[in-house]
Amino acid sequence: MITMTIVYGFINSAILVVAALGFNITFGISGVANFAHGALYIAAGFLTYLCLTELHFPYWIAAPAAVIITGALAAVIYRVVLLRVRGLVVSEVIATFAIGLAILELFRFLGFVGFEFTLPVFVDASVPLGNTLVDAQRLLVVASGIVLTVFLWLFTHYTKTGLAFRGIAQDERTALTLGINADRVAALSMAFGGAYAAVAALVILPLGTIAVNEGYDVMINSLAVCIMGGLGSTGGLIAASFLIGYGQIITATYLGTHWTMIVSLVAILIILIVKPSGLFGHQKELEERT
Amino acid sequence: MKRIVYFTFFIFFTLSLFQLKTTFAADGQVVIGVPTSLTFLEGKESIKAVELAVEEINAKGGVKVGGKNLPMKVESIDIRDAAPGVPVPEALLGMEKLILEKKPTALVVGPFRSEALMAGMDMLTKYKIPLLGTIAMSPASEAKVEQDPKYKYVFRTCLNSKYLVGYITGVMKFLHQEFQYKKVLIMIQDVAWARATADAVSKIAAKMGWEVLGLETFPVGAGDFAPALMKAKTLNAEVILPIFDMPQSGTLVKQWRSMQVPALLAGFISPLTGPGAWKTFNGKIGGVLNCVFELGDLPSAKYTPAKTFYEAYKAKFGVEIEAGHGPAPSYVSVYLLKEAIERAGSLDPDAIVAALAKAEVDTTMGHLKFSPGHQVIYGNDPSKEALGCFFQWTEDGKRVIVYPESVAEAKIQLPTWMKKNK
Repeated sequence: MITMTIVYGFINSAILVVAALGFNITFGISGVANFAHGALYIAAGFLTYLCLTELHFPYWIAAPAAVIITGALAAVIYRVVLLRVRGLVVSEVIATFAIGLAILELFRFLGFVGFEFTLPVFVDASVPLGNTLVDAQRLLVVASGIVLTVFLWLFTHYTKTGLAFRGIAQDERTALTLGINADRVAALSMAFGGAYAAVAALVILPLGTIAVNEGYDVMINSLAVCIMGGLGSTGGLIAASFLIGYGQIITATYLGTHWTMIVSLVAILIILIVKPSGLFGHQKELEERT
Repeated sequence: MKRIVYFTFFIFFTLSLFQLKTTFAADGQVVIGVPTSLTFLEGKESIKAVELAVEEINAKGGVKVGGKNLPMKVESIDIRDAAPGVPVPEALLGMEKLILEKKPTALVVGPFRSEALMAGMDMLTKYKIPLLGTIAMSPASEAKVEQDPKYKYVFRTCLNSKYLVGYITGVMKFLHQEFQYKKVLIMIQDVAWARATADAVSKIAAKMGWEVLGLETFPVGAGDFAPALMKAKTLNAEVILPIFDMPQSGTLVKQWRSMQVPALLAGFISPLTGPGAWKTFNGKIGGVLNCVFELGDLPSAKYTPAKTFYEAYKAKFGVEIEAGHGPAPSYVSVYLLKEAIERAGSLDPDAIVAALAKAEVDTTMGHLKFSPGHQVIYGNDPSKEALGCFFQWTEDGKRVIVYPESVAEAKIQLPTWMKKNK
């Protein structure tokens, strides 16, 4: 039982990391809390499904197409809507939340409800880890988490655009004086976040079905790990994912599966009371009062 | 000012004409109203089954009412009661709109959620509209019908949750006899009907000598069942009894197979019912035992009328029935209504209700008659009662009925990784 808890806790944590990375990137760079993140994740799932089943594209075309389209959609959301309310935090939250709601409920309205909406697994096999059998797709999620995190680090440290991302994230005004186009970088960060959401959908959704409601769950879990880890901090996100991921598995195993849904919410509440800036967050840390 | 008066008069006149047109449209034909959640699988397929029955009846001359043959016509509305967050009053508004505008002789299919059905019973009494429900399953509506004659307009042709419990405990008894299994872990979706079913099954199973190892409740939308499956493995469960109707519940079976949990999965997982599940779940569902609520939603080699309906549906719509609940009773309900109208000799709702209550006929689902609470009686022999059944997915993607014995086509096969506990 303990080995199983350790293995599945690790996998659950990796799923949280992969699902939340896109949300974290966008906030970390542009400061926009993209509440349409869960909707983009589901949109990518349905796009891939449609490309595979209706357009009969091979997977190697359908998957990149979904990632590119989702990224482009996120950039369009920024250019058309968010640019006008940039800097007005409440307006940004309302706008992204409304867009996310509209995307998800549009899918529901169009009849994307049912168990037939699934994505293929990459490898169809079970792998023994000690005395625990795990399906290969879950291990792929873990591998994806590592690859996506390493890629993000390399991108933001060794490419011109990545350095511009960091410049804007550190100080937007100073970055402007150095000729970095803040709006362009912010739109790119939205696109990057959207593309990451799409990649997450491609590796996580084959574990189950593409369901509209999952968009809301992804949003809540992403928000929970980002708030707990400290908004914008990748290290914090990973640490928080492991705390919440293991918290959920231990709760399900030893308390009852129906309690897992409150783990994320309790985590948000506790961190907001104890350390509002999050475990590794620098945002507003100086303004915190004890 | 005069212009406004004339304009208002014109609007009222036009609306009156429309109203008049609707009233006339209802004359000369028997209108079947279908107020249900039309975007959900059971709703989509149930209305198709209704259309199939209506087409067949009209092809044979329609319904004979007082010496005249009247055609049947289907009018539907999406009341969306199955969608999360849709309040019951909103669903009932849709049903009332259909009743007032389309003037149906009777309603079939009806609400998904029992809460909506229960709340709508007074409306059906008010407008004197018979309803033959084919989705909502709470026996509470039967109690109301028995207690107060004013609710006599409500009938149910689908399985109710009391009979579902009977089929589940029946298959458990069968598993005990066949394999001497006696340890069960119950896994359910956190919704009222599943909780009530699990509660009743637990009590009966305990009396039957089963050890109920636990009840794992999953919130709607949950997609990871690993912790509960780990528990099943650790506690040496011999049977896992799932009760789910959410799309994500198919994941449970995928994980059950990939983790090779040595317990037979036998219960109700909605996404695993139809033939399309084999492709949807990449052929990873072999060995699972699943319940089909009404015969006919699954063809039976041993009961021809079920197969005839299934094939007719496939021929008309070009696809097979995927839902395990709804289409067969919806189809049967239209025929029941036709016969009741013909026996009543009029479209008077009270006469139709009296004729329906006395109905006794062989149908797609088996021999059909109503209880005093206007619930079709279900059992284990299609020559005596209506029938639900359990089937097993074989390793080569076929659905084979294994319970009850009257229609069983094969013996239960244990998954390859399980050893027979004999």
